[in-house]
Amino acid sequence: MNAPLHPPKWPVRVLRSVLKKKYLEEIEGDMEEIFFLTAREQSAAAARRAYCIEMLKLLRPILLKNFKTSSIHNPFMMYRNYLIIAWRNLVKKKGYSTINIFGLALGIACCLLIAMYVDYERSFDGYHSNRDRIYRVIHGSKDDKSKSTKSYWVWGNAPIGQALHDNFPEIDKVVQFSGRADILFTLGEKSYQEEGLFFMDSTAFDVFSWKLLRGNPKTALAAPFSVVLTESAAKKYFGDEDPMGKSLKGSDSPGRANAGEYLVTGVMKDVPANSHFRFTILLSMSTFRKSRPDIFTEWGYVDTYTYFLVNDQFDRAKFEAKVPDFLARQFKDPMNKYTIAIEPLKDMYLGTVAERQPGEVGSMANLYIFSVIGVFILAIAIINFMNLSTARSMERGKEVGIRKSIGAERRNLIAQFLGESFIIVSLSMVVAILVATLALPAMNSITGRALSINHFITLLNLAVLFVSTLLIGIVAGSYPAFVLSSFSPATVLKGMSKSGKIGITLRRGLVILQFSLSIALIAGTMIVSFQMNHILNKDMGFDKERMLILDYNYDESVNRQREVLKTEMEARPDIVSVAFSRSVPGGYFPNAYTEIVAADGQKKGMGQPIFQVGVDFINQLGLQLVAGRSYSRDHPTDTIGGLVINEAAARQYGYANPADIVGKKYSQWGREGEVIGVLKDFNFISLHRTIEPLTLPYEPFACRYVLLKVQSANLPGTIEEVHKIWARLAPHRPFLYSFLDSDFNRQYQNDFNFKTLFSLFSSLAILIACLGLLGLATYTTELRTKEIGIRKVLGANISSIVALLSKDFIVLVVVAMIIATPVAWYSMNRWLEGFAYRIDIHFWIFLLAGVAAIAVAALTISFQAIKAARGNPVTSLRSE
Amino acid sequence: MRKTKLGEFEEFVLLTVASLQRDAYGVEIKRTLEQRMKTKLSVGSIQSALKRMEEKGFLTSEFGEASQIRGGKRKRIYSTTSYAHRVLSEMKEIRAGLWKSIPALSLELKSV
Repeated sequence: MNAPLHPPKWPVRVLRSVLKKKYLEEIEGDMEEIFFLTAREQSAAAARRAYCIEMLKLLRPILLKNFKTSSIHNPFMMYRNYLIIAWRNLVKKKGYSTINIFGLALGIACCLLIAMYVDYERSFDGYHSNRDRIYRVIHGSKDDKSKSTKSYWVWGNAPIGQALHDNFPEIDKVVQFSGRADILFTLGEKSYQEEGLFFMDSTAFDVFSWKLLRGNPKTALAAPFSVVLTESAAKKYFGDEDPMGKSLKGSDSPGRANAGEYLVTGVMKDVPANSHFRFTILLSMSTFRKSRPDIFTEWGYVDTYTYFLVNDQFDRAKFEAKVPDFLARQFKDPMNKYTIAIEPLKDMYLGTVAERQPGEVGSMANLYIFSVIGVFILAIAIINFMNLSTARSMERGKEVGIRKSIGAERRNLIAQFLGESFIIVSLSMVVAILVATLALPAMNSITGRALSINHFITLLNLAVLFVSTLLIGIVAGSYPAFVLSSFSPATVLKGMSKSGKIGITLRRGLVILQFSLSIALIAGTMIVSFQMNHILNKDMGFDKERMLILDYNYDESVNRQREVLKTEMEARPDIVSVAFSRSVPGGYFPNAYTEIVAADGQKKGMGQPIFQVGVDFINQLGLQLVAGRSYSRDHPTDTIGGLVINEAAARQYGYANPADIVGKKYSQWGREGEVIGVLKDFNFISLHRTIEPLTLPYEPFACRYVLLKVQSANLPGTIEEVHKIWARLAPHRPFLYSFLDSDFNRQYQNDFNFKTLFSLFSSLAILIACLGLLGLATYTTELRTKEIGIRKVLGANISSIVALLSKDFIVLVVVAMIIATPVAWYSMNRWLEGFAYRIDIHFWIFLLAGVAAIAVAALTISFQAIKAARGNPVTSLRSE
Repeated sequence: MRKTKLGEFEEFVLLTVASLQRDAYGVEIKRTLEQRMKTKLSVGSIQSALKRMEEKGFLTSEFGEASQIRGGKRKRIYSTTSYAHRVLSEMKEIRAGLWKSIPALSLELKSV
């Protein structure tokens, strides 16, 4: 009882925080009085209990803060007023509002499109329900010296599949499939060459989530000569008929399967477009296995992709640690250089390190670049918004002053300005979504992707959109909200100094930032275009112009008739020459293991690409000899033993002087003989890569393509005539033609898409920046109308006034150029590293970009400046 | 009679304030009413009635003296306005009139 007694702390605190200030002293006093009385009459504990209960009973609306502060104040009136003011501001300055809303909308639309593209690219293979458990083997060869593996291939040998399955209990299922095969399928009258189909194990449907509409997923691909059609392929051959149990006549697939009748055992849904490899038809792997059983135990033969499904016990790190031992058990040879690594499904499209893919791969770097551009564009658009708001802040200054003097609190003003910017951003967002929807088809035709707004609209994305609207609103509205609301009413109403110092510095900083981004984008666009032109115009070392290519897919009877075909076609005046080959530059080629007596006198075996060619191929493509001789009909033994290689191959075997390798013994794929000639290096792969060693053995029966050099004014006519000859000599083969240059340039399709998108978005970014500059210039010019009037009265001429008005901006653009140059140089250099043959980045590119930016800026400003300068001073000075 | 919106409890509180005169502050009002009504009342109910009536113009108030037992906090002394007196006496008259009419009415009821 003697201990100082006081009411319990927390209820007191509650009372103090929720009760109206003016009632607090009285009520707290009453409560305390009752507390002490109760404590005296009963006990301290009872008093405390009673205090708590009484406290709770005090929580009544009439006693609490803010529930009803004053009967006159109605916040909704105020909100209505905010809305009216916001609307009047929008309407009063239609120009600014348009620039604000559409600039921002354009920026957001670009961002949306980029986001959709990035989203789509990242969605690859996501539809597999086992996506986290699917891995694939990539094959490599350890380097002699560093013991590390420099490059990997996805395409590899077959026995690895069975070996992995037998040695690793954590692997549930292995699915292997062949390299892409092209087979001619015939059904009655219909005959199509199917490109890019796979021989695939029956486990395919256990591992991948492709939906089988008809047939049994366990057995559809089990028996030899079974075929599973996709819906579209089924439609192509069978129309609306039921294809199940019917059969298709398939031509042979050299090295894989003989010709035969394939029984349709399943129909599956088309493979989704966002799959890292796609096909129209699957054939059973057992077809391949039955025709070539030898290669399924041959570790050196490369024609298989190996994917596998793991179970819960799988741990990637542990698995990788076990791989060296596993390989040592398979290869007793301590000198074995072969090694494997694995890649998870999520890395197969965007993060792969391997070459020889079963399908297309995307580029993570490009996605990063586009994301950065998207952020740039948005930043530029937001800066416009901020700039225009700050520039106009002094107009709103008076409003702020009045609002404050009639009792607005700072937080009301902040809420008002943020709310206003939120309204504008929401409007822009709506316009942006419209613009993006309208632009989507164009975007799809550029990227070759099937982006759709329906797929993009998910609950998550909508939430993201809403949050971004809020965020953009806050960022864009922060300056006016926080700076304007801080003005003291006295100064503003007295007539604030024309523009706040912070305002001007901030605005300059933002313009510099904006133009730095724009200049970086201009320079980037120029570098990308120059590089792409460089690629297109670079001398590849072979003749790709007017080269017609006919694909007959290794057809034996065509190969037998090659001389007849050649003579018949060359008889035409518009066909200069004809040659045959298995591979053409830019197309598919296998790799071969070749032993040649090296410079040190030892026979040395190494792998390199191989082009099996006909006798005239080298002349046909205009390839130049640097040593020895080319194939010739005068040397009949060339077919059996001759070998022409390129300079890189001569260097590979240690010969600095290509002439020295001529006459050296070699063996390759069962052929033996001597190297007879060395070709000057030519780019048979895209310019992303350096020229690799290459051998070009003369193998007339391995050929697949006819190459025709055409000299004609009427190309369609010539093609028609060639078609007639073809139909007469090879009536069983469809006439499939293409042109070498367009085939070759197709390798750059992704690069061209990149260039188009990059230029497009850069132009938009610059456009948005200019819109902002225009708004700003208009505004500052307007502010200086009186000054201009006075100057004119005092005798200034138009050019000096234009200079006066433009000078400020031009200085900013120059500063921006200085900032942008290193940034753009660094990032574009990184991009160029993806090309083996690249242009140098010269400083003048940045200068040019800067000049371009200055020119655009000057053009934008001068319109306003000249208008102001030409105005009659009387009008500008008369009104006050 | 105008609409005064004076509830039964409010009327009791108002009458208590009038009777207590200079002693009419929260705790005293509560104590007096509790004795008369023979029930426990909460501070909240008394306070909200007081505040409501102050808003309606039945009561005015001013700070009184502070005391040790109140932790140094001042009392708020309430006093009735003339408007309150008028309303109270009007209500009393209405009630008295109504009471007067009861005996006749009850006799009639009994005879039925």
